[in-house]
Amino acid sequence: MTRAEAELFIIRELRLIDERHFDDWLALFTPDCLYWLPIIESDPAVEPSLIYDDRKRLEERIFRLTAFPPAQEPGSRTVHNVSNVDVLEATGSQLTALCNLTVFELRPGDPVQVGLADQRVFAANAEYHLVGGPDWHIRLKKVWLLNRNEPLYNLTFLF
Amino acid sequence: MNVDEVVVESEHDFRIRTDIYTDPDIFQLEMRRIFERSWVYVAHESEIPNPGDYVATTIGRQPVIVARGDDGQVRVLLNHCRHRGSVVCRLERGHAEHFRCPYHGWTYGTDGALLGIAQATGYPEDMPLADLGLAPAPRVAVYRCLIFASLAADGESLDERLSQVATYIDLWADRSPVGSMVLTSAAHKFRYAGNWKFQLDNGVDGYHGNYVHESFLQILERSGEKTVRGYKDLRSTGSVVGLSHGDGFIDRPYGGMAGQFEYHDSRLSRYHEQLRQAYGPERMQAILGQRNLLVFPNLFLFESHIRVIRPLSVNDTIVLMQPTRLNGVNHELNSQRLRTHERFFGPAGFGAPDDVEMFVNGETGMKARGVEWVILSRGLHRESRGDGVWLGGHSTDEAPQRSAYREWKRWMAGAESLASAGEA
Repeated sequence: MTRAEAELFIIRELRLIDERHFDDWLALFTPDCLYWLPIIESDPAVEPSLIYDDRKRLEERIFRLTAFPPAQEPGSRTVHNVSNVDVLEATGSQLTALCNLTVFELRPGDPVQVGLADQRVFAANAEYHLVGGPDWHIRLKKVWLLNRNEPLYNLTFLF
Repeated sequence: MNVDEVVVESEHDFRIRTDIYTDPDIFQLEMRRIFERSWVYVAHESEIPNPGDYVATTIGRQPVIVARGDDGQVRVLLNHCRHRGSVVCRLERGHAEHFRCPYHGWTYGTDGALLGIAQATGYPEDMPLADLGLAPAPRVAVYRCLIFASLAADGESLDERLSQVATYIDLWADRSPVGSMVLTSAAHKFRYAGNWKFQLDNGVDGYHGNYVHESFLQILERSGEKTVRGYKDLRSTGSVVGLSHGDGFIDRPYGGMAGQFEYHDSRLSRYHEQLRQAYGPERMQAILGQRNLLVFPNLFLFESHIRVIRPLSVNDTIVLMQPTRLNGVNHELNSQRLRTHERFFGPAGFGAPDDVEMFVNGETGMKARGVEWVILSRGLHRESRGDGVWLGGHSTDEAPQRSAYREWKRWMAGAESLASAGEA
């Protein structure tokens, strides 16, 4: 996989979120995957993360997105951008890439309703471990939100 | 308006006016009369284990530093340089040899004493340096590693304040077989555009779960842990309790609700055995019950975490959820507790964000006029009352909230009117 191919893979992965094809997005992850949003640099066995999803937990997250929980009713619209893609390591079957993500999020509605019609911007450094070839899958997606350690309102959408 | 007009109680009625969630003047009075007078929780001792360790936080609106001095003593110091008023500490937590004001370099010890003034010849030699230390909170006391402070010089002692609730704080702290725990360094932090009392009401609310957390119940059913029906039936087990001083809790017996452990294996059995050996079988059962405990006005003790309410303004609130690690148990048990905590709590969890959505819904809805009452009478007709204890007849009753607002009223009384926020 070249840098351009890795970038296209991530672009398409993110588009699945924006188009709300959540099951297709989930299908990109391996059975031993980790979808991780840390709070601080440390051992996840000792410190909490915002998200530390193994495959089972990630499936639960996707289920919840379609179960109309109050925090996703109305659901988030998102625009995900990827930039600064840098492939660190690539073999025929494994690839590690760093990149930056910018995520715009909005829950549509009447601005009188607190929490709705409020467009939020999230910036993050991300790390991907991809495996496979010719069909590639995500073994690790680790997202370092810029405001990971600040008080936040609602992170019940996908990064 | 006076307090009797905003918290109304009779034999079959308990109502509070929505103004107390929306009126900025009432918020100012709450900060002055409740947060800046009563005992409030400020930090956990495990956050500042060594001399020089500190946490910077707030008491009401006032910035404070909770610091362990070189003498080992915990102090709560106003984060306010005595020269021109700047904060002397901007980090949330850390370790310091001293606190130096970034503006003109006045330097204070970790005990608050003024150590030195930059270019001191600009002041007379008899400048009373001893009187110009960081102002300490007049009263600081610790119970089971929970550090409380009061900005009032006089009042009941912390022991008196906690006399009723201490039993339940003990049950919480004894979840560790050696009776102690540490907070993790990182925490889940919420900020929502609504009044602080939405979180106060919700933390001891046994009524909303079936509705707000329907998606979580479905997740438990999908994973084979509990059926939705079975879970909803469990709402009829246990009880709620209101105590004096505004405290209260939901009390559900162990084994019923999903509880703390997503994983049931030998590590859990080993933990139970440790508790049995440490405390005996009867107390073990009590310790393992699910108890959401409110220590009025700003502290909750949950199975997995300490929750702290930090009001910023009438419609702006920070809530900290700081997970605990139990001392004396298997490392992996604590890791599992963390993973289970993350599943429900935090801004990306499968439960807590739905609660917060109810808070902002309340913020929007309470702008309606002509209907300015919140009804908190659920279960009044079926509760039993003792000396400063209100025992709910059902775990969905609102006895803890009523206790909280009786206490709210007690602190907020003492002036003619709630519209006197401009008072000195």
